[in-house]
Amino acid sequence: MYSVYGTTTRFALTSLTLTLALSLPAMADDSQRINQLEQRLDSLQKQMTESSLEKVRLNGFFSTGYTRANNDAGYDEATEKSDLETLSLFGLQSTFALGRNTEAVLQLVSRGDEDWDTELEWGYLRHQFLNGIETRAGKMRLPLFMESETLEIGYGQPWARPPEAVYDPVPVRSYLGADAAYTFNLSGSSVQARAFAGHLDDDADSLGRTVSVELRNITGLTANWTNYLWTFRGVYARAEATIGGTPPLGDDEKSEFMGLGISYDDGSWLLMSELTRIEVDGFYQDTDSAYITLGYRVREVTPYVTASWVESQDNYEREATPLEVLDVRRQAYSLGFRWDMTTSVALKADWTHARGFGRTTGGLIGNQLDALAGNPGGRFDSTDVYTVRLDAAF
Amino acid sequence: MKTRQTSLKVALAALCLFVGGARAELVIIGHHGGPDTITPQQVKDIYLNRSSRLPDGQRVVAFQLPAGNSMRDEFNERITERNDAWLKSFWSRQVLTGKGHPPREVSSANSMKSVVSSTLGSIGYLDSTLVDDSVKVLLTPQP
Repeated sequence: MYSVYGTTTRFALTSLTLTLALSLPAMADDSQRINQLEQRLDSLQKQMTESSLEKVRLNGFFSTGYTRANNDAGYDEATEKSDLETLSLFGLQSTFALGRNTEAVLQLVSRGDEDWDTELEWGYLRHQFLNGIETRAGKMRLPLFMESETLEIGYGQPWARPPEAVYDPVPVRSYLGADAAYTFNLSGSSVQARAFAGHLDDDADSLGRTVSVELRNITGLTANWTNYLWTFRGVYARAEATIGGTPPLGDDEKSEFMGLGISYDDGSWLLMSELTRIEVDGFYQDTDSAYITLGYRVREVTPYVTASWVESQDNYEREATPLEVLDVRRQAYSLGFRWDMTTSVALKADWTHARGFGRTTGGLIGNQLDALAGNPGGRFDSTDVYTVRLDAAF
Repeated sequence: MKTRQTSLKVALAALCLFVGGARAELVIIGHHGGPDTITPQQVKDIYLNRSSRLPDGQRVVAFQLPAGNSMRDEFNERITERNDAWLKSFWSRQVLTGKGHPPREVSSANSMKSVVSSTLGSIGYLDSTLVDDSVKVLLTPQP
């Protein structure tokens, strides 16, 4: 690839050098400078050849996993029957360079639990200004969480699944809109602020049904500071939410999201923690959530432990209605490891124990459906979920 | 006879010293049109996507040797202080979130030398015994 030369240009270059060499006094430092110039021109030409070859880049990711639980409580939809589809997905991402600082990014994802229907997950234009400002417009991931951008890219994460306590209460992923980010690099650290605005219209699962979710007038702000060892993050977002269901869970309700995140990664030790709060007027649950993950890399293996907690704060709004089943209180403890088997392929195994549901269903689908069917006695008050997962990126 | 033996020993010792002095050592190399020196931290910043420029302000083009190459292992140990598994996962996150692209991988030490010598703003690393005038040595990291 690097040996490709335009013969004509090479010839022209040589004659240019010759002309230059002849017209100048034959002094040593001059010829040195000409040499240097020639080398620069030579490489510039090569760089141009290279960049024209890199107009389109294609990347992808793939996951598949086996999940089984010791009962039908329904943590991440896991049951006593083994399941292969929930964690299976295939994604393709292509980036088209439209100029030196502009690109179009497209991400298509097919998910096992959606019958492998292919969906346009991302589709946006990005432009980077030289002063550290970046703007994007199109369909993008809602940047609510620390791991939002890699939400579906298992290979990029330490866990077998992102902690449900924090990542599950937001049932939607991508919005249509625009954002602008400013990155300021200091020596040894970097600060980034991002403002975003847009609209979201999607479907989500609720109590065993597919319901529509519309978020109007989304606006938000994220701030991030990192010294490449520690990272601190804050996010605030708001919108008006209309959520379907029977009865509808919300009609143009004021919704807010707040989150704080911290992470540490020195190549061996790994720490991640997020604290989030969701407040939605109407029946939809207001929840407070948190998790903390600690891991340690031993060569290609990274064992980790995670503790997480989620609790709804507005149970009185649903009291004595069938929607009481949406009340949630749950703690979960996970023990697992990631093994980087070969380049680009990671195998993960995880055991998660969830408990502490109090008088609620624990927010678990099996328990919720049981309670709705008028069988409150059948409620499980804890569950163990076993997962083996394979992730690849290419 | 004895003197001859001694001089042979001396010659052998000198040869050992010479070979020892020229042993394979990791060096950071760059294009002749680039800066004359660079610090280990600056190299680390470039190879971990924290900086996109050389100390003299030029946009940098970084190259790396293929996985399994002993100089790559040494580079990871001394400069990035991260193993290949970590780097692979790190770069796949950078690529898929649009933050950047990993250093371009060359197939051999020879192609490392030729791309670095012909790419403006390049940086790479090599076994010191293979370095010649076509590239500039910017740093010899001390263990």
